[in-house]
Formats: sequence, C-alpha cells, structure tokens
Amino acid sequence: MSAHSHVDGQLPHEPEKATLEGRNKVLAFWLFLGGETVLFGTLFSAFLALRHQVLDGPTEQELFSLPLVAAATFILLTSSLTSVFAIQAMHANRVKSMINWLIITVILGLGFLGLEIYEFYHYVQEGHGFTTSAFSSAFYTLVGFHGAHVAFGVVWISILIAQVSKRGLNVVTAPKVYVAGMYWHFIDVVWVFIFTVVYLMGKVG
Amino acid sequence: MADQQSTAQNQGRRHKAEGPKKHIIAFIFSILLTVVAFSAVAAGEVNETFIYLILIGMAILQVFIQMAFWMHMKDRGHLYPIIGILFGVVIVITCVIMAQYWVWWS
Amino acid sequence: MAHAHAVKRHTGLMDWLTTVDHKKIGILYLFAGFFFFLVGGLEAILIRVQLWMPMNDFVSADTFNQLLTMHGTTMIFLAAMPMIFALMNAVIPLQIGARDVAFPFLNSLGFWTFFFGAVLLNVSWFAGGAPNAGWTSYVPLASPVYSSTHGVDYYVIGLQIAGLGTLIGGINFLATIINMRAPGMSFMRMPMFTWAAFITSALILFAFPALTVGLVALMFDRLFDANFFDTSQGGNAVLWEHIFWIFGHPEVYILILPAFGIISEVISTFSRKRLFGYSSMVFATVLIGFLGFMVWAHHMFTTGLGPVANALFSIATMLIAVPTGIKIFNWLFTMWGGSIKFTTANLFAVGFVPTFVMGGVTGVMLAAAPADFQYHDSYFVVAHFHYVIVGGLVLGLFSGLFYWWPKMFGRVLNETLGKWFFWLFFIGFHLTFFVQHFLGLMGMPRRVWQYLDGLGFNEMNLVSSVGAMLMGLGTVVFIINMIVTGLKPRDAANDPWEDGRTLEWTIPSPPPEYNFAQTPLVRGYDAFWKEKMEGKNAMTPAEPLGPIHMPSPSILPFLMSVGLFIAGFGFMYHNYYIGIGGLVLTFGCMFLRSVIDDHGFHIDPEEPQDKGVKA
Repeated sequence: MSAHSHVDGQLPHEPEKATLEGRNKVLAFWLFLGGETVLFGTLFSAFLALRHQVLDGPTEQELFSLPLVAAATFILLTSSLTSVFAIQAMHANRVKSMINWLIITVILGLGFLGLEIYEFYHYVQEGHGFTTSAFSSAFYTLVGFHGAHVAFGVVWISILIAQVSKRGLNVVTAPKVYVAGMYWHFIDVVWVFIFTVVYLMGKVG
Repeated sequence: MADQQSTAQNQGRRHKAEGPKKHIIAFIFSILLTVVAFSAVAAGEVNETFIYLILIGMAILQVFIQMAFWMHMKDRGHLYPIIGILFGVVIVITCVIMAQYWVWWS
Repeated sequence: MAHAHAVKRHTGLMDWLTTVDHKKIGILYLFAGFFFFLVGGLEAILIRVQLWMPMNDFVSADTFNQLLTMHGTTMIFLAAMPMIFALMNAVIPLQIGARDVAFPFLNSLGFWTFFFGAVLLNVSWFAGGAPNAGWTSYVPLASPVYSSTHGVDYYVIGLQIAGLGTLIGGINFLATIINMRAPGMSFMRMPMFTWAAFITSALILFAFPALTVGLVALMFDRLFDANFFDTSQGGNAVLWEHIFWIFGHPEVYILILPAFGIISEVISTFSRKRLFGYSSMVFATVLIGFLGFMVWAHHMFTTGLGPVANALFSIATMLIAVPTGIKIFNWLFTMWGGSIKFTTANLFAVGFVPTFVMGGVTGVMLAAAPADFQYHDSYFVVAHFHYVIVGGLVLGLFSGLFYWWPKMFGRVLNETLGKWFFWLFFIGFHLTFFVQHFLGLMGMPRRVWQYLDGLGFNEMNLVSSVGAMLMGLGTVVFIINMIVTGLKPRDAANDPWEDGRTLEWTIPSPPPEYNFAQTPLVRGYDAFWKEKMEGKNAMTPAEPLGPIHMPSPSILPFLMSVGLFIAGFGFMYHNYYIGIGGLVLTFGCMFLRSVIDDHGFHIDPEEPQDKGVKA
C-alpha cells in the first residue's frame, strides 16, 4: 500500500488511519505507551520504596510547595487540552488552527519545564541534591525522567510544526501529529500520578 | 489487515465533526478532581489513610477520563491499546505491592 | 506508477549495513548471535577447564568471576535473544503472508542497537576487566565499593543499548502480527511459532522497561553517586533484586516460548499430523506469558520476604507447570500415530521433550520455598536452569535452524553432519549437567572458583568438564556443516521437507525481496497443508498481480547505533563532550529520519528478479 495514495485527492476524515503505515504507527505507539507505563511504574515503585530514606536532608513536607505544583499541574493539564484541540483541527482539516494549537501546546510545555527547573534549582539550594539521600536520588530520577519526556515532546512537536507548515497535512504527516498528541496526553497522565504520589502524598507524610 | 480496514470504514461512517464541548467538559472535570485532591491535602489534619484513598481515587478517575476522552480510548478500534495499557497497569500494580511490602523488613 | 522514485541499490557490505529487508536482517541476527554463542561457549569451556580438578589454578579468581559473568550475560542477551530474533525475522512475515514487518526501518535499528550494545559489552575484556558481579549483577557486589573496575559500567551501559534494540524489535513484531496478516489469517489460524513470537514480543514490551529502570538506577549509583542501592545512604539492596527479577523472570519465558513454537512446528511437520490440541496450545502459551510476570520473587525466597510472600510465589510458580504440561502432552499426542521422519530438525525436537521435562521437574522442586532454602545458590540451580535453557531453548533453536535453514539460505544443511552434531551435543549436554544436580545436592555452591579435594566433588566435575568438551566438539561439527552446505549450489525447493504445512513453504527458497508476488488467501489453520489436501500445490491469491511498494534502504539505523555506542563510552569515562557528541549523532539521525520522507520504490514481480537474499 503506497504511502501517497491519498496525497492528491481529498484528505480522508481520519488521515492518521488512512494508510496501513499510519495504522501501524498508531498501534505501535499505543504498545510503546504500554511499555512506558511499566517504565514509569517501576520508577514509581523505586520512589515509593525509598521515599522515607531522607537521612539528614530535608523531608518531603519541608521541601514541597503546593502552589508551585498546582501551577505546574494547571499548565500541563491545559496543554493537554490544547493538544486535543490541535487533533480536532486536524480532523476538520484546518491546518492553520492545528498549527496554532500545537504552538500553544509547545509554549505551555516550555512553561512547565521552566517551573520544574526553577523548582529543582530551589531544592538544591535547600540542601536536597541528587546525591543527598536515597530519597533524593529516587525523587530526581522519577521527576527528571518525566521532565526529560516533556523536553523531548517539546522538541518533537516543534519539528512537526515546522514540517506541517512546510509540507502541509497529508497521510504521511497526519499520523506523526496524531502520535505526538498521544505522547503528550501520556505525559500528562504520568504527571497526574506524580503530583498525587510524590507531592500530595509527600505533603501528607 | 481485513478487519483493520473494516474498522477504519466504521470509524469513517460514524465520524461526525465533533465539537470541542466534551473535551472542555473533560478538562473541567480534570481541574475539579485536581482541586479536590489539592484541597484535601491543604486542609490537612484529617485521617491519613482517608486522604490517601481520596488522592488515589481522584488520580485514577482523572486518568480514566483523560484516557477515555482525550486519548480516544472509548472509541471503537481501541481493543489492542486497551489490552496493552491494562496489562502494563497490572504489572505496575504488582510492582507497587512489591515496593510497599517486600523491600524493607516489616 | 506516478511516483517511481529512483532509489540507489547498494551492493556488498553497504547492502548489509543499509538493508531493511527482514530476511537479510534475520541473517544478520543469526550470524551476530551465533558469533556471541561461540564466545559464550568458549567462556563456558574455560570455566569447565578451571573446574575439572580440585584446587586448579588455570585462571585467576578474578578472571573466573569475569568469565562466569560474561558467560551468563553473553548467552542470554547476546546469543539466545538475537538467535530468536533471527528466526522471528526470517519466518514470521512469511508465516502470516506479509511482504515485510510493520517497520522495516525500526527492524534494522533494533538489530544495530543490539549489535553495538553487544560489542560495547565485550570491549570490556580489553579495557581493564569484564563485568565480574554475576549476570544478575546483585548489589552491593556490583556497587562501586566492591566492584571498582569499569566492568559493571560496561554491563549497565552495554545492556542498556542492547535492551533498547530488543524492545524496538518486540514492538515491531507485535504491530506486524496484529496488522499485517494476510486475508483469512485470523488469530486462531496463526501457526504456533507466530503465536509464540506474539506472546514473546508482548513479554519483551512489558519486561524490558523494568530492566531499563534497574540499569539506569545502577548506572546512576555507579557513575553519578546516586543512592538507590547504597545502604549507607538509605538505599536498599533488595530493591535491585526485585527490579532485576521483575524483568528477569519474564525474560526466561521470552527465551523459552519461541522454542515451544519451533518444537510445535517441527514435530507437527515431521509427524505429518495436525498439531494436537492447537487451541489448548495457544491458551497455554498465553497463560505462561501472563503467569511469567507473577512469579519473580521465587528467585528471592532466601532474602526473607516472609511466609506470605514465599507461599504466594511458590504456588504461582507451581501453577506454571500446568500449561507447560499441557504442551508436553500435546507434543506427545501429535507424534502418536504419526508417520515420523527423524530428520536432524526432528531429532532436536524429540530430544527437547524429555530434556525440558527434566528441567521442568527440578523447577517445581525449586518452587517449594522450604526446599529452596537447601538448593539455593548450589549447583542444583545451575543444573536446573541449564536444563531449561540449553535443553529447552538451545535444542529448540537448533531444531528451528535446521528446519528453516533452506528457507533462509536456499540450501538444505547436510543431514549426516547434522546427526553427528545432534548426538555429540545432546550426549555432551547431559554429561555436563546431569551430574551437576548431584553436585548441588552434595553441597557444591555455584559460582565458586575452586573446590577442595576429598569432598567427593572430583569425579562428577571431571565428567561435567568432559561433557562440555563434547558440546564444543558438536558445535565445531555444526560450523563445518554450515561451511560445507554454503559451498553447495543453492537448489532447495520451495518445500524442501515435502510436508510443509504453513505459508513460508509456498514461496521460493530463499524468497524474493517482496516474499509473496500475490498476497495469499488463507482458508484455514495449516494453510498450505489444507490446499495440499485438496489436491492443489499453491495458494489462492487474494489480489491481482501488480507493482509492489518496497521501503528504501537506509544507513541511518547504523549511524544512530554508532552514536549510542560512542555516547556510552563518553559517559562511562566521564568525558561529557564525547558522550554528548554521540547523542547528537543519534538524535541528528533521528531528526533526519523524521524530516526526510521515505518514498520507497516499486518492484514489478512479473519482471525476472534475481532470487532474493544472498547467503
């Protein structure tokens, strides 16, 4: 099946699933997310096992500030919504609007990263470094893995924005955008568990 | 391959230009659940186990809503994604049990 | 066609570096895997030479630790896994009637990341010492305090890279089997090997991320002074064991399930009978795959998890004997009343059944937690896992290699040499490992460099070492067989065993680049056999003859893996410029892959084509 069979004609309703290549990509990305679930699950377990091992470093209650986490959560949730709008625009074949929503998503992602960097910097100032205790190593690894995923997503979606604005939406680019959208939602889902398990439960004790 | 094609056709037939409404509702729900979780912690001084249960409940509910609506898992043709994610979740649950009960002396 | 892009076709070495053809990638996996099989085998023979008499000092204690660690690591990750992927690549697309895997580019990337991870791991021999903390790399032995050379760094980084390749391969095969089946090839009509590959790929998908996390944590501990497993900083050593075995136990099912699939195909073909109890076989495979995730802590009975955990994991482990037993009886009933041909492939398959049962029985013995306190860390365990891995997986692999060799290379392996190989290897195997059960019961601990005279260990260790030599001799016969066969003309028929039952035997050996000129229509289980029984000698096509779209070859997977290899070195020696340079190469290639569209090219199957892959 050719990747280009629909290029010249009207774009189909769900262009990400119009070709076998597109369907393969979406399916494989779902499976990949299943693997990512286990990856983050294992990181969470390591964190849960080690979260009380603070030694001389600051405890979770001393460290975490809820307003900061709430702001980061709000930003990431909103960016998930804007990426939904981007996919909706794609399904309606409104390329311009799709690109705009994607740009907003990227900006919100950058905002989230900025907050996280500020947060980490702040923690290190308070004596909570990567090597302070088992708790600090597990904390930075878990939250840092998520942050690295956000950073990768920001770069990825930016490249896709450039690609789509240059080449337009077709059955080759549509699956890429759709899959990047799934990735972004998944990052958001992981964050829901991070703010619950790491920050809120940490605050409770 | 054959069943995939028919799935794609079904989706095409079923598909109408969907509005942003249900996604905004999902967003509002997400925000509400988050607010409940945060304020449960901010209120503090209640039973710890109770707060834990609330937190976990809110998180699972929120993730369920987001996956169903934003990641389209409620739509047709998502059998393999559901199997994949669910099996991942089963393994994560065993990992969490491990971390809680079988790492330190109790 | 409107878009007949001219694609440069490479020849020679460049062809192999850039290929995205699953058949050629299968051959690459085979030769890389077999090379590391020889390396691991050599390490095993050196271990047996060291242990052939008491208080021997053929190698030093530290070298022995390195040999032992690298033997296990090499055999599991660098020999067994790639040889499984070799057969999966060579056979799965053909068995489901597909032209290629779902992601030819990723297939190539999977191979090259595995290959460079494997090379990185083995470079350690020449860079101040190989890993020496056992293939399980338990902390604190693997922590910087007790393992101060770079050996374990090579282990964490090399396996990380190789594991990435395996994960990519697993996702690729899942998508291939779900999406690329020919019309009529429903799940319950899939050949057993395809089913086994499907479940194995699922296990890879869910088990390898856990290994990734474990290796990352150990890497952070070793390179960046993190405290995951450092008890003096609040870390926990048992946590490593859990994470390792949450990956590690599914890993042994990742290894054995493909062998089950191969045995099912071979026994059915050479008994000229339908596989007995096909649906129960499928059910058993799925059940083993699921239970495989729920038993990891039986490796840790002696860590003190408490009676509740030990009882749970004991019962779960014993449960696995049920689906495995179903399989054993199905193979026996398939042979029952069949007209059995004892080709080399079938000899390996028939030899597999009792050997694997013995490994299974000791497995159930070990599953009993109180008894395990006696067996733990003794040679009994060594005997057990060699019975399931060598007696199970390796016999299965050789069976599959003899069976599918004509399809991969167009030449049938020499049967006389093949039978010599089987008997030498089979007898050598039992000599080596049968006595080790008793060594273990008498109290010889595993992983020891020397043992004292007068403990009653001498004779059995000598027998064991002689057996290892016989296995080595058998492998040499196999190498001679490969060379002798490779020199003969490429003349294998489409269906060289004449009793082929599945789709791969309907097309030339080796198949053309596009596999099927016309996608076949599958009308039942054992698709080809069904047509044969109705007096036809070919499948009914499901589509008209037409130009076939093929993906273009690409050097990017190779370069991406080179980038990871360089980055691994850089970070290991804390040279961050080199480390980041390597990552830039990898991500740069990823960027190129994203922005440059692969238009592929078209092949017209009516044109005379030269016959597919070269041997």
